[in-house]
Amino acid sequence: MDYDLSLVLPFLIKKADEILELSTEHVLVVLISLVIASIIGVGTGLLVWEKPVARSAAVATAGVILTIPSMALLTILIPIMGLGWASTVFALSIYSLLPIVRNTVVGLREVDPAVIESARGMGMSKVAVLMKIQFPIAWPVILTGLRVAAQLSVGIAAIAAYVAGPGMGAYIFKGLSMLGAANALNFALTGTVVIVIIALSFDAVFILINRLTTSRGIRV
Amino acid sequence: MSIQPAVDVSTSYSQPSDRKGRFFTAKRWGTPLLILVALTGLLVFLTVRGEPDKIESFALNWPYMAAKVDEHIRLSIAAALLVAAIAIPAGILVSRSKSKIVRGTIVGIGNIGQATPAVGVIILLALILGIGWSTAIIALVFYGLLPVIRNTMVGISQINPSVIESAKGMGMTGGQILRKIELPLAVPVILAGFRTTLVFSVGVATIATFINAGGLGEVLVVGLKLSREAVTLTGAVVVSCIALGMDWFAGLVEDLLKPKGV
Repeated sequence: MDYDLSLVLPFLIKKADEILELSTEHVLVVLISLVIASIIGVGTGLLVWEKPVARSAAVATAGVILTIPSMALLTILIPIMGLGWASTVFALSIYSLLPIVRNTVVGLREVDPAVIESARGMGMSKVAVLMKIQFPIAWPVILTGLRVAAQLSVGIAAIAAYVAGPGMGAYIFKGLSMLGAANALNFALTGTVVIVIIALSFDAVFILINRLTTSRGIRV
Repeated sequence: MSIQPAVDVSTSYSQPSDRKGRFFTAKRWGTPLLILVALTGLLVFLTVRGEPDKIESFALNWPYMAAKVDEHIRLSIAAALLVAAIAIPAGILVSRSKSKIVRGTIVGIGNIGQATPAVGVIILLALILGIGWSTAIIALVFYGLLPVIRNTMVGISQINPSVIESAKGMGMTGGQILRKIELPLAVPVILAGFRTTLVFSVGVATIATFINAGGLGEVLVVGLKLSREAVTLTGAVVVSCIALGMDWFAGLVEDLLKPKGV
């Protein structure tokens, strides 16, 4: 297929507004889902980390959900939640659960028992130990879970465009539907590259958050 | 602990198998049971709601579904095997390289690859190479390569250098060290990457319907376009069961191939 590189720039300039709008939507839908998933995921992790059965049940359930192909989940959500934002946010949130729950549980469990014991010995209650000692120590691991979830969501959000979800995925599908037309590759390529940029930016932001919020004593 | 980052970055789909073997039985038989329950539930649902209407019966018949399942499994397994054949030797080669730059580049490319949306890769390739089965295979392989290469590299380089040293001291040749020491020790990490790829292939193969490569994605799209929820539901349940089954099978292989001492 012939591809004329000199046409890329005019295309980008002409579509700049739309690209900006779609990428804002993309970032927004990932952020909303991430907030929902971290409330549910970290909450679940805090509740189950100490109970072996509940813990493996929670992680296994989240694992099963993540195994379901995203196209399958999105298409069955349509009759229930309709096209667009609601289905997308729901799907992204539950896909994000596994990395978040797993890392919360792993992070909380990896805290040195001696540290927990000394905190208890100082008279701290169980809840205080969990929130003031374990959580800050586990924080970098939990944050890694959020980061993985964000990466995952950015990619799945692209597929969600097929069910009229928000975001840059629309450009990829537009490219496909124009197969053979002059601008087809421009659309698909722009969509893909912008999504890669969004994913890498999320990564960068998480690295920054990690630097800024990790407790000083455990910073490497 | 050195395994942890590898598991994290590859967003492994299910928890790494538990060493203690305590959850083993529940875990090992939980998945097949779940698949059985899901498929039985689906069958009961379809039977109870009665004969499919004219449009539904286009998709809701045994020969059509069997053909789609066959296409789907073929596509994902072919891709996963190709990935293993290419990525494991490539990973070994990369792990042999002493240069930080080569490793850094591979990890960097791996990260960008992970950030690239599967649907973008598959559609871009279709626009460049044309639609169809072979393009879908190329996209799947392209997408699956990076995690396995990276995990092979990580798996081999995380081996304690003193183990290699003692093997050398015992007079083992480079090939022997690779075959008898490094590969067996790296098996858990390599297989974790392969398992991710296999499950991912099933998922991405669903998208392959957009470029006319068949598979169960077609059932989903047919159900969606004709707004026949029973068809969509059937496709979704079946494809999810395939993904779960593959993951379960890969986990089983992982346990069998893992050296006893590890």
